[in-house]
Amino acid sequence: MGEIQIAEERCKGCGLCIDVCPRGLISFSEDLNEKGYTYVRFDGDPAQCTGCTMCATACPDQGIEVWNKAGKQTFVNTTGLTERMTHYCPGCTHGMIHRITAECLEELDLLPRAVGVAPVGCSVLAYEYFNIDMFEAAHGRAPAVATGAKRARPECIVFTYQGDGDLVSIGGNEILHAANRGEKITVIFVNNAIYGMTGGQMAPTTLAGQRTTTCPDGRDVEETGHPIRMAELLATLQTPAFVARGSSHDPKHLLKTKKLIKQAFQHQRDGTCFSFIEVLSTCPTNWGLAPQESCDWVQDHMIPQFPLGILKEPERATAEVSG
Amino acid sequence: MKSTDVLMAGFGGQGMLLAGKLLAAAAMAEGLEVSWLPSYGPEMRGGTANVIVCVSDEPIGSPLITSHRGLVVMNLPSLEKFGPRVVPGGVIVVNTALIDREYEREDCVVVRVDARRIAIDAEADRAQNLVMLGAYLGATETIVPYEAVEEAICKTFSGRKARFAPASITALRRGIAEGRRAVLPVG
Amino acid sequence: MSKVLMKGNEALGEAAVRAGCVHFFGYPITPQTEVPEYLVKRLREVGGTFVQAESEVASINMVMGAAGMGVRCMTSSSSPGISLMAEGMSYIAACELPCVVINMMRAGPGLGGILPAQSDYFQATRGHGHGDYQVIVLAPSSVQEAVDLTTLAFELSEKYRNPAMVCADGMIGQMMEPVEFPEEGAATPMPENDWSLGARDGRERRIVNSLYLSPEDLHRHNLKLKAKYDEIAANETRQEIYGTDDGYDVLVVAFGTMARICKTAIDEVRAEGLRVALFRPITLNPYPFGALRDAMDAIEGDGPVLDIEMSMGQMLYDVKLAAEGSRRIEFYGTAGGVVPSPDEVAEKIRGLMQGVQ
Repeated sequence: MGEIQIAEERCKGCGLCIDVCPRGLISFSEDLNEKGYTYVRFDGDPAQCTGCTMCATACPDQGIEVWNKAGKQTFVNTTGLTERMTHYCPGCTHGMIHRITAECLEELDLLPRAVGVAPVGCSVLAYEYFNIDMFEAAHGRAPAVATGAKRARPECIVFTYQGDGDLVSIGGNEILHAANRGEKITVIFVNNAIYGMTGGQMAPTTLAGQRTTTCPDGRDVEETGHPIRMAELLATLQTPAFVARGSSHDPKHLLKTKKLIKQAFQHQRDGTCFSFIEVLSTCPTNWGLAPQESCDWVQDHMIPQFPLGILKEPERATAEVSG
Repeated sequence: MKSTDVLMAGFGGQGMLLAGKLLAAAAMAEGLEVSWLPSYGPEMRGGTANVIVCVSDEPIGSPLITSHRGLVVMNLPSLEKFGPRVVPGGVIVVNTALIDREYEREDCVVVRVDARRIAIDAEADRAQNLVMLGAYLGATETIVPYEAVEEAICKTFSGRKARFAPASITALRRGIAEGRRAVLPVG
Repeated sequence: MSKVLMKGNEALGEAAVRAGCVHFFGYPITPQTEVPEYLVKRLREVGGTFVQAESEVASINMVMGAAGMGVRCMTSSSSPGISLMAEGMSYIAACELPCVVINMMRAGPGLGGILPAQSDYFQATRGHGHGDYQVIVLAPSSVQEAVDLTTLAFELSEKYRNPAMVCADGMIGQMMEPVEFPEEGAATPMPENDWSLGARDGRERRIVNSLYLSPEDLHRHNLKLKAKYDEIAANETRQEIYGTDDGYDVLVVAFGTMARICKTAIDEVRAEGLRVALFRPITLNPYPFGALRDAMDAIEGDGPVLDIEMSMGQMLYDVKLAAEGSRRIEFYGTAGGVVPSPDEVAEKIRGLMQGVQ
């Protein structure tokens, strides 16, 4: 028999944990929490819970901790994040991507020398959530700020955390050249195919036919071009060492993505050059979909356009150079 | 107050900027104030290049001079452009290898030097700029001693370029001789 | 140390190294390109950092990154490049990070030309980017002064945690003059501080940030910045006054290269018996309003002030502010890279004096 503890006050009622629980042991309460959300609660048979941690993994808000049958805590909130509640919408996977990034730093014992660079966009306040030294950069300029930071203090682990408007659109030049110079930094690129912060406008990664407030009839690729596959684009460069794409739409993919991020930080720690992890994510609010529907939309629509996997890694880069 | 100024002009690559630099470096080594102001406009791309060198025993006010006491010109466009700007009593050194017409300024000393021939004779065909600098020094009551300029040449042509120094100095000296001859009293 | 003959741009680079700055981020643009060209070699010798950025937008943000990590750092550019740095300058000033920006002004607007100009006075002194921020602006008029003011720029930027700009022009950048440098290795290292990021070693985490979503917090932040700018204005103005020995009937005001040309012109007209003095602001921001007003008040009779700039009249606004309507202000300016000659300036002065006498 496992056990989970749900921090009601942290719950935004996205319900992702309900959907991922293999035994259907979590459901919405009828009450509202302080913030006005219909929070979730464990209401199944405690004997049924295996302590599998799926619910905690899927929670964007650090709201669930888990113990296994032996009474050992199997899911602990990372110390790499502050306890502050994020401002992200219910079901937005930014929270999970923050968490796995912080977990990687913690597990590699890199938190004391990690310096993050927050972007402009939905994750502009990332400096409030990562429990490390942080910059808040101008729109799109995070890779340039990270370049300066890493060059100034090479002993630090420097990463940027950027969205699609910030990285692909206004910061297209900065990311391209930081990658091409092989700056020894790590870039976490969160792609949800829309501008979230400004309220749902077309992004460079918006899918063909996808509706946004600035392409209300759906993105017309004849007029606005096709969505940019940033990971593929950077992988064409000779310099970057590690380029990969993962997703955050379910626990399985999230854990795979975490491995990628961990590899990226290991590469930086070991002095290998530039690493880039694109992470597909959701925007329930601006897509106009429920949280779980959003996750399904990533699976059904985004992954075909943005295939997952490692596009480039150091061994291969070396092989290319020597070949 | 002792002071002088000279504008040195030619096609890019003819070494006028370097000649000016040698003069400035020599003057500085003598404890004088100097400024070396090059043209850096689009003309440096294959057009004309010029430099104004000011030398004084007092701090230099404007490094930009539009009426010159000295003018050294390697080519005709430079002569036509800057010749009229030389003040009465000034010295104009003209490279006859590229400027085959007479230049009349009765109120100035005009020194005509075949920089190419003299440089070739000195076995330093690339040192035509130094022949011209020498001619300027020889024709003016300059406040920079010749030896200081030779010293500056040795400093500039050091290391792997040291082998160019002796011929360069020869070219300079022959230029000086030309300049002095030009201002000798007639007779 | 003995003097060396150096181009302004290269001398500036050397001055930065002597000031202990070994982190440079920049992008080529005429007429300042010799700064990066010089520093790439020099920083290799001293084990520093040189990055040729992809744009001026990137270079100023790299400066922000390095400055935020608590290292002495700089960039250099010329007018159009400084326009691109506007955004970064605003962020760096808002985050209160120290850094030095060199501007070798060229003629504008638009792509303009590459010859010397002073038409970025507004840009430098009235803020490059958005928001209520200010940059310390120092204007040298010789290669030696460019060296001295680069040293001072680092000092002031660190003292006040604010960007400082050395605002010269293409003529100073391209010109060679004898210069003397501070001794190598004599610069004091950046002192320990409580704001820069890096390896934490158990301390509280820090944030370099300019986002204040609460209007009250942002108001307070602006008040704090304003108090700092007031302190800078009270303590850091610098100027030179020339030719005042036996009184004067006309006061010329000019800065940088133009002031130098005016000095020669003033020598010329003083030799003719005309009594003319020069006021040269060395700090363009903070502007020496008080000292200029004093110099204006010392003009004998109701003689005018003649403001001369390589622009269409930008510092003119500050000269008028200093006068507060108390005196006639005349202006002469050229643009586009046309530099007034000493003779031209002398002629302007003579013309004015005819009116006075």
